[in-house]
Amino acid sequence: MERQLEEIKSSFKQTLKKASNEKELEKIRVEYLGRKGVLTSILRKMGTIDPKERPGIGRLSNQLKLFMQEGLTARLEEFESATAKTGIDVTLPGRTLRRGRVHILNQVLAEIEDIFADLGFLVASGPEVEDDYHNFEALNIPLYHPARDMQATFYFSDNILLRTQTSPVQIRVMEKDELPIRVIAPGKVYRSDSDVSHTPMFHQVEGLWVEEGITFAHLKGVIETFVHALFGLDVPMRFRPSFFPFTEPSAEVDMGCVICRGKGCRVCGDTGWLEILGSGMVDPVVFNYVGIDPEKVTGFAFGLGVERVAMLKYGIDDIRLFFDNDIRFLTQF
Amino acid sequence: MRISFNWIKDFVDIDADPSAVADALTLSGTEVEEIDHVTIPEEVVCARIIEKEPHPNADSLHLCKVDTGGEELQIVCGAPNVRQGMLTALAPIGTKLGDSMVVKKAKIRGVDSYGVLASERELGLTDDHTGIMEIEDKSICPGDILIDKLKLEDWVFDISVTPNRGDCLSVIGIARELAAIFNTSMKYSPIEPEEDKTPIDTALSVEIEAVDACPRYCARVLKGLHVAKSPFWMRRRLFLSGARAINNVVDITNYVMLECGQPLHAFDYDLIGEHTIVVRKAYDGETFVTLDSTERSLLKDALLICDKEKAVALAGIMGGENSEMSDDSKEVVLESAYFDPVQVRKTSSRLNLSTEASYRFERGVDPDGQKKAVDRAASLMARLADARVLKGVVDVNHLESAPRKIYLRKKRLEKILGVSNVKISKVEAIFKGLGFEITSDEGGWGIIAPLFRHDIEREIDLIEEYVRIDGMDNVPSDLPRFEPQIKPSDVLKLRDIRATLSAMGFNEVITYSFISPKWREWFKDRYLELKNPISDEMAIMRTSLIPGLASVVARNKRIQLRDVHIFEIGKCFLPVQGSSHLPTEIERLGIAISGSRKKLHWSEEAGQVDFYDMKGIVESIVPDIEFRPSNHIFLTPGIQADLYSGSGLIGYIGALNPDIIEYLDLSDDIYVMEIELETLLIRKPAEIGPLPRFPSICRDISLVVDSNIIYEDIEGVILSKGIKDLRQIEVIDVYRGEKLPQDKNGITLRITYQSATKTLEDKVINKWQKVILDTLREKLGIYLRQT
Repeated sequence: MERQLEEIKSSFKQTLKKASNEKELEKIRVEYLGRKGVLTSILRKMGTIDPKERPGIGRLSNQLKLFMQEGLTARLEEFESATAKTGIDVTLPGRTLRRGRVHILNQVLAEIEDIFADLGFLVASGPEVEDDYHNFEALNIPLYHPARDMQATFYFSDNILLRTQTSPVQIRVMEKDELPIRVIAPGKVYRSDSDVSHTPMFHQVEGLWVEEGITFAHLKGVIETFVHALFGLDVPMRFRPSFFPFTEPSAEVDMGCVICRGKGCRVCGDTGWLEILGSGMVDPVVFNYVGIDPEKVTGFAFGLGVERVAMLKYGIDDIRLFFDNDIRFLTQF
Repeated sequence: MRISFNWIKDFVDIDADPSAVADALTLSGTEVEEIDHVTIPEEVVCARIIEKEPHPNADSLHLCKVDTGGEELQIVCGAPNVRQGMLTALAPIGTKLGDSMVVKKAKIRGVDSYGVLASERELGLTDDHTGIMEIEDKSICPGDILIDKLKLEDWVFDISVTPNRGDCLSVIGIARELAAIFNTSMKYSPIEPEEDKTPIDTALSVEIEAVDACPRYCARVLKGLHVAKSPFWMRRRLFLSGARAINNVVDITNYVMLECGQPLHAFDYDLIGEHTIVVRKAYDGETFVTLDSTERSLLKDALLICDKEKAVALAGIMGGENSEMSDDSKEVVLESAYFDPVQVRKTSSRLNLSTEASYRFERGVDPDGQKKAVDRAASLMARLADARVLKGVVDVNHLESAPRKIYLRKKRLEKILGVSNVKISKVEAIFKGLGFEITSDEGGWGIIAPLFRHDIEREIDLIEEYVRIDGMDNVPSDLPRFEPQIKPSDVLKLRDIRATLSAMGFNEVITYSFISPKWREWFKDRYLELKNPISDEMAIMRTSLIPGLASVVARNKRIQLRDVHIFEIGKCFLPVQGSSHLPTEIERLGIAISGSRKKLHWSEEAGQVDFYDMKGIVESIVPDIEFRPSNHIFLTPGIQADLYSGSGLIGYIGALNPDIIEYLDLSDDIYVMEIELETLLIRKPAEIGPLPRFPSICRDISLVVDSNIIYEDIEGVILSKGIKDLRQIEVIDVYRGEKLPQDKNGITLRITYQSATKTLEDKVINKWQKVILDTLREKLGIYLRQT
């Protein structure tokens, strides 16, 4: 009998909580306290129990009755006060605080840095205004080499320029650091292009791993780990032979188009593949420039465009949006 | 480079379909960026004009009766070249031409027409729209389906060739790659033209003065040629490659260049003075008029092709107007030379003149290809322009073209790629397929590359060849061993700054590092100036983040976003003496605010931001900073301060100068700050102290102060008394107004006391308060305000 009373109490509590208006409250009152209500029918069975237990049960029943009556009254008051609008209008707007955003490119960059930090890479940096030697010559791009066509360059003088790539940081790091070298170098780079897919300034992340025993297989392993960490494990990838003056063999890395999933669309030019980064084994010529013995030591390097990664991750189709600084764009991320 | 798949198949047998071929090329390093499927509707047939009558109602139209193989149709046609007996292309009723047009039975000026006689352009075959298509091939009969008979279905590959692979800039070059990839052989036999009896020596001599720049010069002379329109098949291929058809002579030079990668030039023989070609460097300041009627002024190292009197071509780049082939030309000198890549590139980049020819010379043409190319062109001219080919070739050759032997170590190959057990037979097959000579021994392979592969110079070049043909997929992925790194504290600190500022309501912006020279008016620094800016508005490197931030504020206000709270972290560029030195690059944090202080809310009026908002922001993110009145031109006089920390001047804060606001066409104030990032990054974490155990007690005092006394002085005087348990002084009210004399301000301070060792008693605090008030009165004439 005692247990039954407990059950009634807990079912009453739940039902009461769910009630959303006065009519429902009345229904509950009838259901539990009415003449044919649950509690009344229990009390009717009082005669059937052990007389010794009767006073106890009686007290419990009264307590329960009181509890239910008070509960109903309290809820009723709540409803009444709401209807009477004695409180405040909780539907008026609150005082929201301004919340800004870190620029999406720096958010993406942080994500890239974190992945490479987990792979043991340190962050290095170098100047944005560079000399011809570090930006071109030491990277095996001599004057009048057609490879200079790949990068339209801003000049201050014949020798001083805005870096066209983050690759000169490779040279600067190898000039001064001890082996093994394992760095990424994020930063701004500049090329004199401007259209839907080019801005005169953009961001790259350079990567470099130089150590005895580093192979092309390692390059593949590290790049695959990175791309999978950034775009998901199920993204197909391929390494496609290419040409960069400062690496050999060189490979462009493609991943399955994240927009059409490989079926072919406007973004991937119907190929199903998207170019995501360039990479390769450090060319022996570059090692010679920085005084590392290419017979003993090997290494790989890679570079990727931060804007491109952000555009693919977020489906942005105009690179200029990143630098228009329209607050309506900035606050979407 | 755009080339036709059918053309490639002239030189190599491949079964695979075009997209598989394109994929294979791409995965070997020669990227096919796009495949364009070109075809014409199957309904288009050959038709013969059997009758041509004038149209009864229109002078410019003809009424034709055409034989379509089975039936005769009446068709109205306005083409100028329509004539009885000609074979042409008919698009019957129901044919879809182009994207939107369907051929229908039509009544043209009152006469029924049952189909369209189409031009090559209407069929999408070439850009020729001078008349209806002329079918020259005598084996084609009325009713024949043109797409089959003329093999008009094709696929155009748009190929991106990397700068090291000049040898791939031709149909044959691509065919060679495919032969290696698909392990098949080339179908190619050099063609020797049928020659006349007259030896060339009697007609032309060649003198090379600049041997370094022009190590090889081949030429042929052809006579009695008829300059005319090229045949359809040639114009079709040129069209698919994006070259404009001009006449048979010029078209053949272009065709041969596209086919074998060797640029050729045709001179009108009669216009070559003394029939002598002289190859020499230009005189300083010499000018020359190129084919495009542009006068070019040259530096003294530009290479010229000349005759005895004048220059006739800019070597390897463009011919001259004075020796151009015309419709009346009867004799031609065909040039096929090897020009030094750097030489050509210097001149073409200096003149900003890049042509199909210069593009190929810059990337290196086959040093063994000059004679083959001129022979091929001569035989085509004999066939298509009825030319007589004089006997022999002038071939002045100073090229040292001994093939280079390179040894490839098996161990090295495996060490670079990270593979083991490379199969000897596989290596041999790959290099033989590429046309290399190869011999094996137990340690590796001796390899000789063909002459056209001038990119192959070192062992590493051979390793690349191996992996690109074998396929990069065949190299397994592997992760090297490494030690984890602790992220450097400045990277973390920088992120913390970004997170803090964005949580405080600022949006981060990234602006271009180059700004408009207009800003020099207010930021009077020395600037780095770009020699080739992309626009005048982006011509100098910023020395401050403020111009960029202010422009962003202006930009957003123009789109009705009035409340702008932004920051930027980036480098500023300060030139140092001496143009060969790199500038000093300083990373700074800049903040700009404008508009209302808080988001609009119905409960209160939103105040506009002012100096103290900006100052509060600085105080929140940079502790222990001193503000000293400053005098910068770009800030409003009297509403600005320099920021000092222990290390000296680190930045400034203030209201932007009203002139700048006006220049930006704005009306609202903008408050800015700029600070060196370094000072924020090196800040150590504060020491963790024990929490106070005894209660604090605060007292408010309202003071009357001379208006020329600044707050810093008041605080200084209070602190000078060295009261140990004085915890904090807060300004809780500043009053200026009629309740006080004109030269006085009211200020209310809340002074908090707290001891680390005991609960402070009232009488002690009263004593201190008295000390403070006495000192303030004594030193600054400040007294308590009577309420």
